[in-house]
Amino acid sequence: MSAGPQKIIPLADLAARVPDGSSLALGGSFLHRGPFAFVRELIRQGRRDLEVVKQSPGYDIDILCRAGALSRARAGIVAMEGNFGLAPWYRRAIESGAVRLEEHACASLTAGLRAAAFGVPFMPCGGIHGSDLAALNGWKTIEDPYGSGEAVYAIPRIQPDFAVIQANEVSESGDVRVFGTSHWDRIMSRSAKRVLVVAERIAPDASFRDQPELTLVPHFLVEAVSIVPNGAWPGSLWPDYAIDYPAVEAYMTDAPGVLADHLAAGPEVREAAHV
Amino acid sequence: MSEAASNVTGAWSGFSYIVTNLARFVRPNEITFSGVNSALPMLACLLAKQAYPFAFTYINVAGGVDPNPSEVPISSSDPVLAEGSRAIFANEDFYDLCTRGLMDLCFLGAAQVDGLGRTNVSCIGDWHAPRVRLPGGGGGAVMLPTARRAVTWRTEHSRRTLVETLDFVTAAGGMHGVVTPIAVFTKREGRLALASWHPEASLDEVRDRTGFAFSAEDAGPTPPPTPEERAALASLDPAGRFAVDAGIRLR
Repeated sequence: MSAGPQKIIPLADLAARVPDGSSLALGGSFLHRGPFAFVRELIRQGRRDLEVVKQSPGYDIDILCRAGALSRARAGIVAMEGNFGLAPWYRRAIESGAVRLEEHACASLTAGLRAAAFGVPFMPCGGIHGSDLAALNGWKTIEDPYGSGEAVYAIPRIQPDFAVIQANEVSESGDVRVFGTSHWDRIMSRSAKRVLVVAERIAPDASFRDQPELTLVPHFLVEAVSIVPNGAWPGSLWPDYAIDYPAVEAYMTDAPGVLADHLAAGPEVREAAHV
Repeated sequence: MSEAASNVTGAWSGFSYIVTNLARFVRPNEITFSGVNSALPMLACLLAKQAYPFAFTYINVAGGVDPNPSEVPISSSDPVLAEGSRAIFANEDFYDLCTRGLMDLCFLGAAQVDGLGRTNVSCIGDWHAPRVRLPGGGGGAVMLPTARRAVTWRTEHSRRTLVETLDFVTAAGGMHGVVTPIAVFTKREGRLALASWHPEASLDEVRDRTGFAFSAEDAGPTPPPTPEERAALASLDPAGRFAVDAGIRLR
C-alpha cells in the first residue's frame, strides 16, 4: 500500500474542513446512523449558511436550524420520526423563511445525485406526473428520444460539496464499512465533491481484504476520517446501539439552555476531553 | 372502548380498525412495502404475516426482506426491521423497483387526501408562506403514480384531512385505498368510494365528516376482526403501547 497522507484526524479538524456556505449530504435516515457528532461539532464551531442535502433528514436538520447554522435545504421527507412527529425547529425555520427549502420526493433527490455521480447534467426520474412539485421546482419533461412516446421528468444535477457518512468501521486507509441498510450513503458518496467519514472504530486492514464486498466506500474516495465512539448518538447505529429515546425527548424540550446542555452531553465531547 | 375490552368482545377499537383494515389490503404472492413514519402500516404488514394463510414478500425501509424482528420497534425505519432478513434491499432499490412497475402494494403517508386519492404531505396553507410546514414529498410523488396499488391511513377522519381541495398536490396518481378510524375507502372508476364503515359509525356520519363526495354503493359495516387478526395484533402489541401512542379515537 502506498503511504498517503494521514487520513484519521480529530473530529474538530474534520469539521473544520467544511467552510461556511457549504452544501452537505448527510448519511443515514432520520434517527438512524446519521453523522450526528459531526453535525454538533459544526454547531460548536459556529458554522453558518450551510445547506443540507438529504432524502430523509430529521434530528440533523432540526438541530442545525435550532442553532441558526442552516440557510438552505434540499430534502424529501423531514421529521423526527419514532413517535416524535415533525422536526419543530426545522418547521419553524421554513415557516419563518429563515431556511429556503427545495422540496423533493426522495427519488427525485436521488436522481439529482445520480446525475452528479454519473457525470451528466440531469437524470430522468420515474413518477412525479401530476405533482405540484414539478412546477414548483421548474422540473421539465423530456420525451423519449427513441420514440416510445413516454415523457419523463429530467431532474437537474445535484452535487453536494461534501458527503458526510457515519460508519461502523473504517480501515487505517479510510475504507468504509456499514452494517445494515446503506440508506442513501452510497449515492451520496459517489456524487459529492469530497467525502468525510465518522466511524465507531478502526478494523484491521486484513478484514477489509477478507470481505471486500462489505466495503461501501473505498478509501480513494475518502478524504478524511474521525473515530468517534457512539458518534450517531442520540440516534441508532446498527448493531452497536439503539436510539437513546430519553435523550431525544430531552432535546425536544423548548426551554433556554436545552440546546447547550444537549451539545455538552454529546459523546464526542467526552472523547475529546480524554485526548 | 379500551384495547383490552375490544379484544375480549371482538369489537373494533380505532387502533385495531386501522391496523387490521390496512392489513386486509395485503394480497398473496405480492410485494408489499412499508416506509418511514409508518408505525401502523408496519404493524399491518407484521399482522398480515401472522394472521393470513398465504405468502407475500414484505420489504421495508430498513432494508428488511421478510425479516424476523426480535421486537416491534417504535420507529418504523428502525434497523431492527432488517433482523433475520436474507438481503438488504436499500432505499434506492425499492424506489427503482416501484418506478419499474414491480411494487404491488405500498403504504404511503398523507396529511390531506382528496376524492381522487391524491395527497398533500407538504404544507397547510400556501406553499411559499405555510401555516404549517409538513414533512414533505417523501415517497409519494414518485411512488403514488408508479406503484400498482398504494394505500394510506389517517388517524383523524375529518373534513380537514379528507378534503375537496388539497392545499398542495404533493402526489397524484391516486390511492387505491384509504383507512380511517371509521371508514375504509377503495378506488372505483378513478375516485375514492366507500367500501365499508366502522359498525359503531354510520354512512351518515362518514358523509358528514368527509370533505369530498363519494359513492357508497355496495358499502356496509366492516366485518369484525377475525380471531386470527385479533390474536396477531395482541401478540404484536401485548402491552398496548402502540395503541396508546397512536391515540386513535373514533370521534
